[in-house]
Amino acid sequence: MAKKVAVVHGPNLNMLGKREVGIYGGKSMEEINTEVAAEAGSLKVTVDFYQSNSEGELVSYVQECRGRVDGILLNAGAYTHYSIALRDAISAAQVPTVEVHISNIYKREPFRHVSVIAPVCIGQICGFGSHGYVLALRALMEERLDPWLA
Amino acid sequence: MEKDVKKNRKFLVISGPNLNLLGTRKTSIYGAGSLEDIHQGLKLRAQELNVTVECRQFNSEGEIIDCLQEAHDRFDGVIINAGALAHYSYALRSAIGSMLLPCVEVFISNVHTREEFRHKSVIAPVCVGVIGGFGKKSYLLALEALSNLGNV
Repeated sequence: MAKKVAVVHGPNLNMLGKREVGIYGGKSMEEINTEVAAEAGSLKVTVDFYQSNSEGELVSYVQECRGRVDGILLNAGAYTHYSIALRDAISAAQVPTVEVHISNIYKREPFRHVSVIAPVCIGQICGFGSHGYVLALRALMEERLDPWLA
Repeated sequence: MEKDVKKNRKFLVISGPNLNLLGTRKTSIYGAGSLEDIHQGLKLRAQELNVTVECRQFNSEGEIIDCLQEAHDRFDGVIINAGALAHYSYALRSAIGSMLLPCVEVFISNVHTREEFRHKSVIAPVCVGVIGGFGKKSYLLALEALSNLGNV
């Protein structure tokens, strides 16, 4: 059966392409989703897309990923830096999760240098614009094929 | 307008201190493969991407800085796994910041699940981006990211 990945966008990512394009680029969330869907097609995995501005809805969605999907690709937006509730949801979901950021968060304000979700994710990809999502999908779907990882 | 991506791009891959020991120490964290295996994997992937890579490893901080200073007229970008130097080498940060080539930082392990002193990278702010936590595949993903930069 084809593997399934949930692509989850957090707060304000629905505004991509319309706000601070110097930081986040000119592509809309829908355009990024189209690129991810194309890569998913070539990797023969299916993808569900979700966006919410609400922390609680993101928590519920991630919880519901348990047993339903094989991986989560998560750009938690600003919640990355302070949502312990989202971190707990990722832990509880027991689904391999990759953290993605469009910008290089380490070049920006100090409050963005800490990710409270990073310790419960497999890994992090940041700074490569929309291509980061494609890289994250590849990281996630080929992860179990990597004989170097336990 | 067509994207003007330079042909025959060449990337420098640098691994820092103790990465020559890959496959022989702490294999639960760093995996069982050797650095040579990573270099072979990078060369294969580079062929597919139509780019070339030159892979180097140094235990000495000063030698990495020398190598980066000489990189600007020979390479089009750099991938660096600085090992423990990532967390404290301001000299390395200055060398990356002044070389005028895009640099991608990679980690084999997820540094955020490890000791507190590994949570901060002093070189991340002068790199284009960071990829960490995916084993040897972190290097391969970094090569893809670097190769794609001209297309963004």
